[in-house]
Amino acid sequence: MKQIIELDVNDEVHELAVEPYDSLLRTLRDRAGMQGTKRGCDSGGCGCCTVLVDGKAVYSCMTMVMSVIDKKITTVEGLPEDGELDPLQQAFIDAGAVQCGYCTCGIMMASKQLLADNPNPTEDEIRKGISGNLCRCTGYQKIIDAIKMAAAS
Amino acid sequence: MSTNVIGKSITRPDAYDKVTGGKKYPVNYSLPGMLHMKILRSPYPHAKILSIDTSEAEKVAGVRGVLVPDDVPKQYFTPVYFVPHNAPSMVQDFVLMSDTVRWAGQPVAAVAAVSEDIAEQALELIDVEYEELPTVFDPEEAMKDGAPQLHEASPNNIAKAPSFAFGDMDAGFEEADHIFEGVYETQRVHTCYMEPRVCVVDSDTDGRLTVHSSMQHTFGLREKLAYALDIAESKVTVVKPTYIGGGFGGKLDIGFIEGLAALLSLKTGKPVRGEHSRGEDFISTTRNPIKVYLKTGVKKDSTYTARSIRSILDAGAHATHGSEVIMVHGLYGTFFPWKCPNQLWEGFTVYTNNMIGGGYRGYGAPQGCFAVESQNDEICETLGIDPIEFRLKNTHREGDPHPVLEGHKLASYKIEDCLRQGAERIGFDKRKPAGSSTEVKKRGIGFACHPLWVSGCVGFPDIYEHSGATVKLNRDGTADVISACVDLGSGQISMLTAVVAEELSLAPENVRVVYADTDTAPFDAPTHASRATYSAGLATKAAAVETKKRLFQAAAAVMEANAEDMVLEDGMVMVKGAPDSAIPMTDIIARAESPFIQVGEQGPAPTTIAEKGTIIGSASQAPPSNPSPVGAQFIELDVDTDTGVVEILRVVYSTDIGQVIHPNSAEGQVEGGFQQGMGYALMENLQFDQETGACLSADFLDYKIPTSMEMPANIESIFIDSNEPSGPYGGKSMSEMCLIVPAAAIANAVYNAIGVRITDLPITPEKILKALGKL
Repeated sequence: MKQIIELDVNDEVHELAVEPYDSLLRTLRDRAGMQGTKRGCDSGGCGCCTVLVDGKAVYSCMTMVMSVIDKKITTVEGLPEDGELDPLQQAFIDAGAVQCGYCTCGIMMASKQLLADNPNPTEDEIRKGISGNLCRCTGYQKIIDAIKMAAAS
Repeated sequence: MSTNVIGKSITRPDAYDKVTGGKKYPVNYSLPGMLHMKILRSPYPHAKILSIDTSEAEKVAGVRGVLVPDDVPKQYFTPVYFVPHNAPSMVQDFVLMSDTVRWAGQPVAAVAAVSEDIAEQALELIDVEYEELPTVFDPEEAMKDGAPQLHEASPNNIAKAPSFAFGDMDAGFEEADHIFEGVYETQRVHTCYMEPRVCVVDSDTDGRLTVHSSMQHTFGLREKLAYALDIAESKVTVVKPTYIGGGFGGKLDIGFIEGLAALLSLKTGKPVRGEHSRGEDFISTTRNPIKVYLKTGVKKDSTYTARSIRSILDAGAHATHGSEVIMVHGLYGTFFPWKCPNQLWEGFTVYTNNMIGGGYRGYGAPQGCFAVESQNDEICETLGIDPIEFRLKNTHREGDPHPVLEGHKLASYKIEDCLRQGAERIGFDKRKPAGSSTEVKKRGIGFACHPLWVSGCVGFPDIYEHSGATVKLNRDGTADVISACVDLGSGQISMLTAVVAEELSLAPENVRVVYADTDTAPFDAPTHASRATYSAGLATKAAAVETKKRLFQAAAAVMEANAEDMVLEDGMVMVKGAPDSAIPMTDIIARAESPFIQVGEQGPAPTTIAEKGTIIGSASQAPPSNPSPVGAQFIELDVDTDTGVVEILRVVYSTDIGQVIHPNSAEGQVEGGFQQGMGYALMENLQFDQETGACLSADFLDYKIPTSMEMPANIESIFIDSNEPSGPYGGKSMSEMCLIVPAAAIANAVYNAIGVRITDLPITPEKILKALGKL
């Protein structure tokens, strides 16, 4: 039986009808129509669905929506400010860190927390920061370059 | 050659959309009133379905349609996209749904409902009665008399047994000073594209289908779907996905979802969406495991005298790609890359009750390269030969006749530069003798090369190999490119953009690769076989040349000059040698599409009939040849002899891919290819319960691929200065080479570290400790 909830996504309150067993991922994609967050495995294995909950990166597929209704959710759609790309987004373009791009949004969200906690991470810290996110196209090298670039900007 | 765009790493046109959410993935596609499909899969690896009762499932509120094997046309075909459905080289043993189950996970029923939850709930209410049949999971067991038989038409489960030979094997081995024999085994691995396989199929009331899917070939999907459903091809429109979330060969054949969703759409009159769970993806496609028996005779002067190769390929329940993987493995993986005067290769594609094999980047060559390059390393170690000189003695040279394609030459083929520059960069001359380190962590350096590969499929008799494109100039000075070439993520959009921008003297941001479907775009073969840059690149260049011709015709009418005398430079059309005659190309385009009076800055002005008509050009063609890229990869690593863990420290990959079209993307191919190759070499393994046939590693928690933590910090690409005369701006192919060599290179480096050779992949810590006598 669906319930109506209010969910704060990217500083906007969404009124949504959800099943009590819905994950945050399903809520975002299928209920709120916000498809920037990707479903890669639905079992906490790939990180494509990473979003921020009160600033902390989580796998939205492993987060029940009912557990976050009083929290602030940030997705890739919330990254640009005043129509300008987030430095991470620009850096991912400039570094050539995007191939198929399916993992990109999740990795940028994980990186967002990484840079918020540690604005000048070492390469090892970057590697650790995105180690919960799989990429099959890039070998991570240009992704790491992009995060360094964003940190420097 | 002076270029404006080629070789300059333009900004990827798809990157902005992808970093802002990526709206255009097939997984995001939906239609009003769309139903959701779920598939019931067999828990048994070999069984006869005695009965299926769907009555309870059909009663569930929200269920709109149910399919069982009896509802599916019994069309036997090969689901592989790059060949015709009845290609003689392939085995036509595949049907959309059968009442004989041959692998655990085979679809036995499908449900379409108003929600995924309801469809899943309905699956649980379908009652299937099975009669279990005896099983066989090992291909060599399956070949024995008395083994359980999977397909009536294939005694001893041998779906295909090709062979080729030349020379005199007995004389060759007699001539040898040394004979080396080994058995090299590879495992089942998954491509691990990140976007699941997904489709939405809609049907019109007159039975026409429109298909959105995550597949690597728009035209192949149209052909196979029409055949499976026994309808005319013209009744199926496949829309090209703007891009997909990875493929790597894993989306190179019709999945069950497209056919079943199509039938359910026809049945219900609604659009039907099917999306794989990750578990379904894992059991839908794999690189075929191949066991290679390899025997090589060598003379003291380092040359081969004879080689016999026997390759046993585990096809799984249906031959599909296994019919062709075995050939590519034989031709380009083992037999023709090396010069050997007497050779025999025998291949066997064998049915088992394992999951069906599929395409995967490199297609049979990584298995071959692992065997041959491991043994080459053994030969050099045992005989104390310089391993680089040994490779050079036994490989082809630039200008040699192509070893497979009669009448073609290896026109660009810088294998020596690849080996020498790679060796110098890694410091190969400083490597220590194998197993000589007394430390717990032992350093190793090793390499492998692959001396023959493809830029597409010219020379393969059954495989489609032509491309087409249409290029249209707009009045605002931009170009639209219509091409059915699918971008898997590996940069086809960038490549097509760069080619058109270069040819038409446009800024890359003024070129747009636009909507395409099978109704409106010329045929294009799949994005596979490292063919897109060479084949689709050449065809798109040819289309741009046609567009330019049309531009010059219109300009000739405006300027009252000869079209043949025109040149296009920096957006200006002019008579060659007369810069004063220059007119902006946008003026010509605008006049060509204006009414007879054109209003310009100087006011209204008349135009002529002769200059009218959209500036547009098309081409559809097969490429002239199949140039071979070559490459050599050098690895430096540590093996911890207490834990067996391998740490890759440094990778140098030097390749000859002709003129590099987009250096940043080319590096990305090397780096990403190494991630897959390292996984293949060290950790990835799809594992199955040998009693039940159930997949034990059907998610990323159990199937480990390299993360940012395991990947080395240094992957260095060297692109050898080269130019392929038949290629677009001198380019040839790249992608698959990046995954053919890493496993062999890593295996050779592990040997150099510990002095013990592992001949079956993956080289896990357990195998290393066992080899060191520590387990």
